[in-house]
Amino acid sequence: MSLTSISLRNVRKHTDTEINFAGGLNYIVGGNGLGKTTILESIYYLCTTKSCCSKSDANVVKFDEDIFEINGTLEGLTKDSATVIYSVASGKKQYYLNEKQIFKASSVIGKFPVVMLSPSDHAVTQGSPAERRKFIDSVISQSSRTYLDVLLEYQKILRHRSALLMRIREGDFADSEMELEAWNQKLMSAGEQIINHRVDFLKGFNSYVAESYNKIMGKMESPGITYLYLGGTKSDNISKTFKDMLSEYKVDEIRRAANLVGPHRDDFIFEINNINLREFGSQGQHKTFQTVLRFAEFFYIKDVSGNTPIFLLDDVFGELDAQRAKKVSEYLSDIGGQAFITLTDFGNISFLKAGEKDRVIKLNEDSKIAYA
Amino acid sequence: MQIAEPLLVAIEELSKLPSIGKKTAQRLALYLLKSNGEQFESLVKALEDLKAKIKFCERCFNLSEEQLCIICKNEKRDKSKICIVEEASDVIAIEKTHEYSGLYHVLGGVLSPLTGVTPDSLKIKEFLKRLEKEKAKEIILALNPDTEGEATALYLSKLIKPLRIKVTRIARGLPIGGDLEFADEATIGRAILNRGDF
Repeated sequence: MSLTSISLRNVRKHTDTEINFAGGLNYIVGGNGLGKTTILESIYYLCTTKSCCSKSDANVVKFDEDIFEINGTLEGLTKDSATVIYSVASGKKQYYLNEKQIFKASSVIGKFPVVMLSPSDHAVTQGSPAERRKFIDSVISQSSRTYLDVLLEYQKILRHRSALLMRIREGDFADSEMELEAWNQKLMSAGEQIINHRVDFLKGFNSYVAESYNKIMGKMESPGITYLYLGGTKSDNISKTFKDMLSEYKVDEIRRAANLVGPHRDDFIFEINNINLREFGSQGQHKTFQTVLRFAEFFYIKDVSGNTPIFLLDDVFGELDAQRAKKVSEYLSDIGGQAFITLTDFGNISFLKAGEKDRVIKLNEDSKIAYA
Repeated sequence: MQIAEPLLVAIEELSKLPSIGKKTAQRLALYLLKSNGEQFESLVKALEDLKAKIKFCERCFNLSEEQLCIICKNEKRDKSKICIVEEASDVIAIEKTHEYSGLYHVLGGVLSPLTGVTPDSLKIKEFLKRLEKEKAKEIILALNPDTEGEATALYLSKLIKPLRIKVTRIARGLPIGGDLEFADEATIGRAILNRGDF
């Protein structure tokens, strides 16, 4: 699947911008603050109905304007046109697919798969466990609707359970003990499904990580993701461990009125040759691993869904050394899909060559487009 | 808005009803104004009777005209089975299938700690008292297959199991996250027939 053209109206700096894209690699080149990332953000909007970079749609509207509009033409098995419109005044966002309004974001997600590597990915390898869970959950959810459903149910159970724990803390435990047990059972059944799903997923995903890592590093090392569930237990008997931990933490859970046991507290350890990246990795190794994870995600979704994602890479060459950057660029020309890469200067990077299927798009000082 | 006040009030009141929007409310109000007196009176009477004459059955909390509902009064119903449902509308849905001849118990909701629904706010104590008096041999849990419905089912089964009464749950076949009252008869009928151990 590929995006053939896009038009942006009042999207951040872009008052009225139209761009035609190539089916291979599209290099978007321009100085700081001219709106390169905004183009990636707009593509992300078309594919997911959401922004990749801002929590509020209102922030994306050009200063002093009311409405932003993004239009795109996508070609896969069929030719589709997609439109996102947002108005500050009404606070409403509308998504149109082939001129028909779509009311549920979930019916768009997965139709135009997209993978994005951005500087904010540093949180995945360097941030809190929540960031790693978010990454893993989003990759699995894109390829499994069942997983997404269980995940949503689990979150609902957590909210109920914490309200119940709060009530127990303030009242009489004897009355609520059986109710807590009922919710424990719900928690365990959904939680176990999540853990098993993640374990199975990593069995397959780790080989994608290894392949991408070795392509980018150009040598054989063994990177991997280890899943620490239920406090890092080594036990295979998830049900029993889950149950034992719930009784062990019962008093604590009530005292703090918080859910202390379950996959919402799990972590994933990124390793290179069994060395923990988070503890021992350099900045460069972190950046490399973040890049590896997105490439692995790209190929995983491509294989599982049979639909080649659009690959967005925001400032990927900024922090990599010349050798790794060269490998990444070679790898990119090999992905058999469409990618969008932002750069501050194309000419300065000697190894970059735009092939027949590629295009260099320049953003001038007034955010106007020129094709090189 | 320059609309006669009684009409405006009627539109406002009608639009409070479920699945009635402003436009439908306005159409209904104008229709009622135009309709003949007899039709109008009988609607008013029906609504008054609804509120005045319908109460909760003392035994099962189903909607009823008398102290006991028609189902609890019916001698032919199988008293060894009690089917637990969330709302009276679920009784109607199950009755439509003609697959069930036992009794009911309407909880009046499901456990939802988040919105403050506790076991005390449901008809659970009343149900346990019923079990002491009546000689039920099987309790069928027919709650919606969503998160709260299932947690409530688990809770009830924990309460009933020590009493050595068989607990079953209607078979899955209903859409997950769906509402029992909106499902079609064939689906509910099969779910009752294929109920399994729980």
